[in-house]
Amino acid sequence: MRATIRSAAIGAAAVLAAAIGSPALAQDSEPIKIGAIYILSGTAATYGEFARDGIQMAVDEINAQGGLLGRKLEVRMEDSQGKANIAIQAARKLVYQDEVDLLMGIDSSGVANGIAPVVSELQRPFLITHAATPDVTGKLCNEWLFRNSVNVNQHMKGAALLAKDLPAKRWTTIGPDYAFGHQSWEYFQKYLAEVKPDAEFMTETAFPQFGAEDFTPFINRIMAAKPDGILISVWGGDLVNFIRQANDLGFFDQDFEILLTLGAATEVLYALGDQMPEGLWAGTRYWYDAKDTPINRQFVDGYYERYGRYPSYNAQNAYAGVYTFKAAIEEAGSVEPAAVAAAMKGLTVKAPIGTYTLRPEDHQALVDDFWGVTKARGDSPIRTLDPVRVFAAADVTPAPSETGCTMQ
Amino acid sequence: MATFVAALLNSLDIGMLLFVIASGLTIIFGVLGVLNFAHGALYMLGAYIAFSAVAHVGVPFWVALVTVPFLVAAAAAALERLTISRIYDRHPTWGLLLTFSLLLILDDAVRMIWGVGIHVVEPPKALQGTFTLMGAVYPRYSLFTIVAGAMIGVAVWLLFNKTRIGKRVRAAAVDRDMARAVGIDVSAVYTIVFAFGAWLAAFGGVLAAPMRAIGPAMGEKIIIESFVVVVIGGLGSFPGALLGALILGAIHGFGGRWLPELNIVLPYAGMAAVLLLRPHGLMGRPA
Repeated sequence: MRATIRSAAIGAAAVLAAAIGSPALAQDSEPIKIGAIYILSGTAATYGEFARDGIQMAVDEINAQGGLLGRKLEVRMEDSQGKANIAIQAARKLVYQDEVDLLMGIDSSGVANGIAPVVSELQRPFLITHAATPDVTGKLCNEWLFRNSVNVNQHMKGAALLAKDLPAKRWTTIGPDYAFGHQSWEYFQKYLAEVKPDAEFMTETAFPQFGAEDFTPFINRIMAAKPDGILISVWGGDLVNFIRQANDLGFFDQDFEILLTLGAATEVLYALGDQMPEGLWAGTRYWYDAKDTPINRQFVDGYYERYGRYPSYNAQNAYAGVYTFKAAIEEAGSVEPAAVAAAMKGLTVKAPIGTYTLRPEDHQALVDDFWGVTKARGDSPIRTLDPVRVFAAADVTPAPSETGCTMQ
Repeated sequence: MATFVAALLNSLDIGMLLFVIASGLTIIFGVLGVLNFAHGALYMLGAYIAFSAVAHVGVPFWVALVTVPFLVAAAAAALERLTISRIYDRHPTWGLLLTFSLLLILDDAVRMIWGVGIHVVEPPKALQGTFTLMGAVYPRYSLFTIVAGAMIGVAVWLLFNKTRIGKRVRAAAVDRDMARAVGIDVSAVYTIVFAFGAWLAAFGGVLAAPMRAIGPAMGEKIIIESFVVVVIGGLGSFPGALLGALILGAIHGFGGRWLPELNIVLPYAGMAAVLLLRPHGLMGRPA
């Protein structure tokens, strides 16, 4: 009788264990899904492609090592087309239809600002790896939204620290006529005025239309105004056009200081080749050659072998983004969205760009800021940076209280 | 003085490039009655093929300038035969939808073939460097653009007014059925005209390639500008395309220099003003 009860109890326990165990077993074979929303079409499509390259490389590496928590990683890419409403639709599709566990993305600052409020509805950790508008870790910050890349605020502080040591006193700007161009100038003025009180900021500025093909009138205008220093926040294809046209007009033979805030982006350097003048200060959100650490060398060499070119900042940031999720999942011990988001708060991540922390107060990564002087290099088709100046995050990141973020 | 001259040269080189492209658009509309939304994509195709010809095949830029437009024109003729020719008798919206879908297809095709990166084409050695005119420093290639555009303009005018094929085209434009009745092969004329419009767009693309970064969707900006040009000048009017292009060129060249804050708005304000005061364009005729 006791033996029967005991064996019945053991049998029941075995059945219960199997019943509870099976969902876990079924889960083990289910991949962890990451939804990625980047610009895959239109004039800025190259950024989405770089992000895809970086993500795919990270996913392949992690899967080759057995995946995460015994599960494989899978990525679903969606095209935001650079439009907020399309990105929001894509995010909803990824969450409700494709049932992704994690979201990452966003190249365009306008789209980032548009999607930030929607992120709370989706209840998935959303990691921004490119868009630099300060607002997503400022007044639009929320529990689910994180950023592992440098923002305009940090980058312009770096620019100001650079400009402090330059002899130029009268500064102007040439930037695209939307938030990025205007905010870059606004922050640059604010920070430079703090560190160099005798700096003057001219009212004669130039904000050509984003996507303008002809910068000649603006170039002539600024040259005629005779500044000492020019902050140029034109980027991507526009910057390629700008520099070629400026070359023709002798812009770089004048004796003013020039800061190209995104001049060291690899897509620009590859497009321009020898047409990129030497001796200009150029910034980027990650310079592949700045750090001789094993983790960076491994990433750069692996990327070059796989894709035939040096990694752009967008590729590294997306790659590091996947590894950020990895670190968060390992710390949380689960893929449950709220647990992952909680783990990401204050998380420290080792990446090719360096070791960074996602600050708990505003979820902005404390990541280094890169600048350097363009220089030809015999064995490379693109300009290199020499000397390189890397500004530590602590020196360029504003305090949480200054960002406008009011999250606990 | 130097700044005025620089702004004037700038207006002319922008204007002449727009003229070449927009004249193709206006001719297609004038004769076929079709608003060719794919025109910007044909411009882009010209630029991309020229890039490949120079960078991958290794032909000199001059050869590309002469041959690439014909390649694009041939492709356009095939497109016309296959698709556009079937909808001439239908409501104009069919033409809009069809050319718009061709635009989307061409855009994606370019992206699939050439990828999404940014490319550049160098101007030929003879046209590199700058020249100085009354104190203004200006790129030689831009001067070439102005001259090439003017030459194209003269050639097209001669074509339409002094040749027999030009007469036939004008006849087909004025009255299709009557032209058919007097023995003109109207459908052949339509194909030729569409191909010719594409030739102009592609020529504009090759001409623009050394001055602009070549990237995906580069046709989008130019099609909007071309539409503004033909609306201001008058849909279907060839001299109107020249006038509209010069006006838009001046808005960019002078406006960009002296009224940069209004730079985005000015072309559209100009277009709106023309539509209000002379709805058929400055040189257009009522239908």
